[in-house]
Amino acid sequence: MVSAYSQYAWLIPLFPLLSFLILTAVGRQLRDAGAYISIVSVFVSFVLSLLVFWERLGGQVEDYTWNNLQWLRLGDVTLTMGFEVTNLNALMLVIVTLVSLLVNIYSSGYMHGDERINVFFAYISLFTFSMLGLVISANLLELYIFWELVGVCSFLLVGFWYFKPEARAAARKAFIVTRIGDVGLFIAILLLFWFMPNHALDFSSIHNAFSGGEMPAGLTTLIAILIFVGAIGKSGQFPLHTWLPDAMEGPTPISALIHAATMVAAGVYLVARTFDIFAASPAALGVVAFIGAFTAIFAATIGTAQNDIKRVLAYSTVSQLGYMMMALGIGTAAAMTAGIFHLFTHAFFKALLFLGAGSVIHAVHTQNIHEMGGLGGRMKITAWTFGIGALALSGIFPLSGFWSKDAILSEAYRHNQALFWIGLIAAFFTAFYMSRLFFLVFAGKPRSSAEAHESPMSMTLPLIVLAVLAVAAGFAFTPFNPWLGEWLVGHTEGEHANWLVIVLSNLVGLLGIGLGYLVYVKRTVPADAISSRAPWLYRLLERKFYIDELYQTVIVRPLQGLGHLLTLFDVYVVDGAVRLASYAATGLGRAGSRLQNGQVQTYGLATLLGLVILVLALAGRRFINFG
Amino acid sequence: MSGLATPYLTLAAILFCIGLYGALSKKNAVIVLLSVELMLNAVNLNLVAFSKLGVHPGLTGQIFSLFTITVAAAEVAVGIAILIAYYRSRGTTNVNEMDSMKR
Amino acid sequence: MLGNIVAFLSSGANIAFFVCALLAIGGAVFMISFTKVVHMLLAMALTFLSLAGLYVLLEAEFVAVVQVLIYAGAVSIVMIFGIMMTRHRGDEVEPKRPLHSWLLGIGCLALFGIIFYAIQQTALPTGEFQAAGDNTMEIGKQLFTLHVIPFELMSVLLTVAFIGAIIVAKREED
Repeated sequence: MVSAYSQYAWLIPLFPLLSFLILTAVGRQLRDAGAYISIVSVFVSFVLSLLVFWERLGGQVEDYTWNNLQWLRLGDVTLTMGFEVTNLNALMLVIVTLVSLLVNIYSSGYMHGDERINVFFAYISLFTFSMLGLVISANLLELYIFWELVGVCSFLLVGFWYFKPEARAAARKAFIVTRIGDVGLFIAILLLFWFMPNHALDFSSIHNAFSGGEMPAGLTTLIAILIFVGAIGKSGQFPLHTWLPDAMEGPTPISALIHAATMVAAGVYLVARTFDIFAASPAALGVVAFIGAFTAIFAATIGTAQNDIKRVLAYSTVSQLGYMMMALGIGTAAAMTAGIFHLFTHAFFKALLFLGAGSVIHAVHTQNIHEMGGLGGRMKITAWTFGIGALALSGIFPLSGFWSKDAILSEAYRHNQALFWIGLIAAFFTAFYMSRLFFLVFAGKPRSSAEAHESPMSMTLPLIVLAVLAVAAGFAFTPFNPWLGEWLVGHTEGEHANWLVIVLSNLVGLLGIGLGYLVYVKRTVPADAISSRAPWLYRLLERKFYIDELYQTVIVRPLQGLGHLLTLFDVYVVDGAVRLASYAATGLGRAGSRLQNGQVQTYGLATLLGLVILVLALAGRRFINFG
Repeated sequence: MSGLATPYLTLAAILFCIGLYGALSKKNAVIVLLSVELMLNAVNLNLVAFSKLGVHPGLTGQIFSLFTITVAAAEVAVGIAILIAYYRSRGTTNVNEMDSMKR
Repeated sequence: MLGNIVAFLSSGANIAFFVCALLAIGGAVFMISFTKVVHMLLAMALTFLSLAGLYVLLEAEFVAVVQVLIYAGAVSIVMIFGIMMTRHRGDEVEPKRPLHSWLLGIGCLALFGIIFYAIQQTALPTGEFQAAGDNTMEIGKQLFTLHVIPFELMSVLLTVAFIGAIIVAKREED
C-alpha cells in the first residue's frame, strides 16, 4: 500500500517552525494576531497528523523512512537527516499536536493582556516544532538535536516571567538538571556511533543490530542505561526529578504542555523508540523498572503533603511517569504497549488537570489550595472537568486512566509481583491526593474573599474537549478490545482481563478517594491525624524528602566552593598574568617614550648599542669558532 | 696573524671610538662636529693604510680619502652654518636643548 | 717582550709611527677631556697634524699635504669661527647623565673590542706596495682619467655646500 500521507509527514513540524519565525520576525507589530498565527499553524499540523494517523490505522502500512539528507560527511562516514513514520510516532504526532493545539487555544485566553504574549506564542511554536521534530527523527543524532531544542524551549518558557526570581531559578534548574541527563544520552550516542556497524545511528539499523544480538552484552547494558539516564533527566525520574516541580513557576499552560505532551513525554518516547536496546539487556530493563516503580511511589507520597495546586499535579506527573517507566521496564511487548498507552491517556487527563488548575488560578489568583474552597458552585465547567480528570488519574472505571493503569498493573502482576504491589500502593496515594486536591479546591466553603468567576470560553473549550478525551481515550485499548496493542506492536498478544487486578485497583482508588472525602469534607478523620502524631513524617513529605536540600549540600555547595576557588584563580593568576603582560607592554611603551626624548645623542647611543648587540649576536659565533 | 697594516688599523679603531664617544657625549655642538671629523679622519687613515699595505694596494685608496676629505670639508661648512643659524634663532648651541624633534 | 720592543724601535719608520700615533691618540684624548672649547680645538689640530705625519709614513704625500691644508688649516679655522660666533661661557660643564655616560663608555669599548678582535683575526698581507715615483703626479693622472666623474661631482658638491652654507648662515633680515 502506498503511503500517501506519510511521505509528507516532514511538513508537520514545519508549520510551528514557520509560526515561530513569523512571530519572532514581526511579533511586535502583530499584537493580537500572534495567537491566531500560532493556533492556525498547530491546527494545520494537527490535521496533517490526523491524516497520517488515519492512513496508518487503515491497514498494515509499511513504516515510511526517508533518511537521505546528507548533513555532514566525515571521511567515509556520512551523517544523514531524515524522518520516519511508524505507528508509534504517528500516535505521538497526534498526541503532541492535539495537546499543543488545545494549549494554544487555552493560552490565548490565559495569557490575554500579557505584554509579551507574542513572544510566548513564538516559544510555544518552537517548543511544538522541537517536539514534533524529535518524534519524527529518523536517527538518534537528529533526535538528540531536537531533544536539546526541547530543553532550551522549556528553559525559555519556564523562565518566561523572568522578572520573578523564582522563575529564573527554576528555569536555570530545569536546564542544568536535564543537562545532566543529556550528557548520559550524548555518551550513549557516541558509544553507538563508535560500535554500530557502519556507524549507523538510524533506528532501523539499531533495531537490526540489537535484536539480532550482534552487540556484546556489557556494551548493550551500558548504552541502554546511558540512554535511560537521558530519559531520567527529561522525564523527571528519581533522582533527577527535582526540576519538574520547580518548573511550575512558568505560566500554567506551559506546565500543561511540558507535563502532558512535550518535554517529559520525550524521555518515555526515547526509551520506547530505542526499546530494542533495552530488550537486549535484562539488567537495563531491571534498572528502568526499579527506578520507575520507586519514582512512582516516592513522588506519590510527596504529593499528599504539598499545598500548591500545581506542585501536587507536578508530583503526580512524576509519579505517573514512573508508572510508564515501570511498564517499559517490565520488558514485554504488551507492557511496552501499556506504557505508551498510559502516556497517551495521561497526556489528556494531565493536560486537563493543569488547564483546570490554570483556570482556578486565573479566577482566585493564588496557588495555595488552603486558600481556595467552594469553587465548585461558581466554576461549574472547571469543577466538572477537573473532577473527571482527577477520577481518570485515580484510575476509576471506566475512565481512560483506569484502562491504562490497569494494563500496566496486570502486566506487572503477571511478570513481577513486587512491582505490582508498589504500583497498587502508589495508586492509592494518587487517589488520595487527587481527592484531597479536589475537595479542598472545589468543595466546602470559600476560604478567601476573592470573587471567583468562570473563565472565558477560550479556556473552557479546551477543558471540555480534554474531558471528553479523558473519558473516551481509554477504550482504545481494553482487555476486551486490544487493537491498539496489535497496531502498535504489530502482533497479537494474549491479552485477557485480569479480574483480580481490575477489582483491586478500583478498590484502592475508591479507598483513597473515600479517605480524602472523610478527611477533607466530612472531617470525621482530622486532617492533622498524621501530622500531629508523627510531625517528622509530615515534614519529611512536605520538604520532599529533603532531596533539594541534599543536592544543595552535597553537590551545589561544593561546586560553588570550587567555583569560588576557580574565581580566585582567575582573578589572581589568570588576570594577574594578563595584567603582567599589560604592565609589561605599558612599561615598555613608557621606557620607549622616555627613549624618544628628541635628543640625537640618545638615539646615537641606542644605535651604537644595537650595533654592538647585533654584531655580537650574528658574528660572535664565527669569531669564537675561529678561536 | 697580523700584517703590517695592523698597527695603523688599531690606531684608526682607537681614534674612531674616541670620536664616537665625543660625538655622543659632548654638550657643545661645535665639539660634536669636531668629534665627527675625528671619526672621518680615522676612516681616512684606514683607507690610506690599505692603499699601501692592503690586499690590493693601489692609489685608489688615497684618491678615495681625498674625496672623503672634500666631503668632510663641505660638511663642516654646512654644519657650522646651520649651527650659527640655530644659535641665532634659539640662543644656544647646547645639544641637550636641541629636542624639538620630540615636540 | 723586551726584544720585540727593541726590534720595533730599531727601525726609524717604526719610531716615527710610534711618535705620531702617540700624538694622535693624545690629541684625541685631550680633546675629550679638556674643558675649554679653544683648547679642545687645538688638541684636535694636533691630532690632524700627526695624522698627516702618518700619511707621509704611508708614502701618501699628497694626501698628507691635503690633510694639513684642509683639516689643520681650513676646518680648524672654520671651527674657531663657529665658536666665536656662538657665545660660550668659559668652561664647558658637562651634563650629569650617569646612565648615558656609562652605557656610552661600555658601548664604545665593546665596539673597539669587536673591531680589534676582527683586525687580529684578519689575514693581512705582509708585503708592501711599491709606490710610483711621483705620488702627486699619479694621483693627478688617475683623478682626471679614471675618476673624473666623481671628481666633477665633488666640485658640484663643494659649490652647492658653499652656496648652501652662505644661504643658511645669512641673517634673515638682510
